[in-house]
Amino acid sequence: MSGRRSSGWAVAGKYTGAAAVLLFTLFPVWFMLSTAFNGRASSGTDSLLPTHFTLSHFSKALKPGASGGFGQYMVNSAIVTVVVVAATCALALLGAVAMARFRFRLRTTVLVLILVVQMLPAEALVIPLFLQMKDLRMLNSLAGLAVVYTAFALPFAIWNLRGFVAAVPVELEEAAYLDGCSWWRMFRSVLLPLVVPGLVATAAFAFVLAWEEFTFALTFLSDQSRMTVGVGLAEFLGQNTNDWGGLMAASTLVTLPVVVVFVLAQRRLTVGLVAGAVK
Amino acid sequence: MGTDVEDLSAAGGVRTLPAPAGEARRRPARRGPTLLVRLRPWLLLAAPLAVIAVLLLYPIVRVVYLSFQEYGLKEIISGHPRFVGWANYREAVSGDYLWKTVLPNTVLFALVAVAGTVGLGTLVALLLQALGPRMRAAVIGAALVAWALPAVTGTYVWVWIFDPDSGLVRRALQGAGLLGPDGYNWFTDRLSFYAIAELNVIHHSYPFVAVTLFAGLTTVPQELYEAARLDGANAWQRFWRITVPVLRPVFAVVTVLSTIWDFKVFTQVYLMPGGSGTNPDVLNLGVWSYMKAINQNQYGLGAAIAVLLTLVLLAITAVYLRVLFREEEIR
Repeated sequence: MSGRRSSGWAVAGKYTGAAAVLLFTLFPVWFMLSTAFNGRASSGTDSLLPTHFTLSHFSKALKPGASGGFGQYMVNSAIVTVVVVAATCALALLGAVAMARFRFRLRTTVLVLILVVQMLPAEALVIPLFLQMKDLRMLNSLAGLAVVYTAFALPFAIWNLRGFVAAVPVELEEAAYLDGCSWWRMFRSVLLPLVVPGLVATAAFAFVLAWEEFTFALTFLSDQSRMTVGVGLAEFLGQNTNDWGGLMAASTLVTLPVVVVFVLAQRRLTVGLVAGAVK
Repeated sequence: MGTDVEDLSAAGGVRTLPAPAGEARRRPARRGPTLLVRLRPWLLLAAPLAVIAVLLLYPIVRVVYLSFQEYGLKEIISGHPRFVGWANYREAVSGDYLWKTVLPNTVLFALVAVAGTVGLGTLVALLLQALGPRMRAAVIGAALVAWALPAVTGTYVWVWIFDPDSGLVRRALQGAGLLGPDGYNWFTDRLSFYAIAELNVIHHSYPFVAVTLFAGLTTVPQELYEAARLDGANAWQRFWRITVPVLRPVFAVVTVLSTIWDFKVFTQVYLMPGGSGTNPDVLNLGVWSYMKAINQNQYGLGAAIAVLLTLVLLAITAVYLRVLFREEEIR
């Protein structure tokens, strides 16, 4: 803003500030990585720099049968995540089109309902859902988890996607009708291709939610072979000794896909957030 | 309202420009609203609303119902829960535990976390605006990584940094001669426990505020700043007199959303040593409710605590809705 006319002090302050922000922001990530690759991961100060570089923490963590087999947990999480992403995108698109393109009685009520349920705390819902899943014998079922995650992702997904649908010019739809398209045909050939960016953002949001979810996985899963990554990480912490190298290696594996998805989708996600929620 | 039923264009048209909406109304070959057309939004909404109703609305009704019942292992086996009226609520609010431990842990934590998140987020957003393109990209990239770091793994990293046996902070302090050979367990003391939780939560949630506010800052007309500078306003005055009033809706949204998220923080507390119930000093509303219900099978009492937490969140949500409706005219 005032870059051209800044004094020397202002420039120094700017760079000091940027350095401090970068340090605070990246230090935990750096520490996770350097511990994960460090042969002497049992001491905090030795873990600051990966002086004894090794991949053994990763191979040990992923070895089936070793401390639980983290590879299996990653597969479980991946299955749940794929189902949740697909179901959330499909259901949210239906809801978003209804909210953005139709005026109907109770529309505002539905909108407020969507906003309110999105605020419900998982801690309150986990109690009745645990009892319900127990009755249905769906504890320890990945399908049960996927269903719950989809429900949790839906309100925000509809809210967010609604902004993207509303941004598609109505004239395009009008043109499709004039060309004799049915509503369904217009939806498939005009609306759907144009809201792909919104769907990418929705998919990213659902991905992150399902991939790293903790509370429900902790409550529903007791069978080791069904664990997802969120709860599986705890296995590296023992009663007396903690395998910090293994824990940080597994944490790195959990974090990596989320960072990739975030970087790919962030522009769309924040645009949607600001467009949908703020203006 | 009734005549709008078949007007597919209204929402999108009004949103962008007033003109297209008017044109759309003059659409040729206007059909009467048939039943199918009138039902169309509901056909679209049927599946998503059904999922929300079964998995979010029914459970929230059931948790309220549970909170008036004695529902423990005995009742699960017999299948006959007992109605006990307000007894669970009375148990939750009686004694010092809620008032002296759980509520301060929840509320003070949230207040500090919101102030820290919005404060740091604002500073970083202003910094981003002042930086050149390359540094800006670096800071945004770093913020994205912190944002993406999952709550579970982020918490484990902070626990590792402060680990009482071999963590970095202990070793570094001992190396500098500031800490005795016995070390110190930062997780047993309530204040230091929550200081670490604050670091964790602020680190994880400030990027959302920074990125959102930065996007907002780019929409503030530069002429306002130029005019203020000509009038002799310094940077401090320009921020409080121009940036804050113009971006008030953005500030309101990020503040309320942060408040909601920080009141229901669970993972970051539960995964810290002692946070899962072994250290009663550090529980907040969410973890206390979870521990009573899931770990101790006192589902009725746990439900009552969960209802209290939900009521607090709904009150904050009401503020959020008012902000949204006032500032945006939700459509």
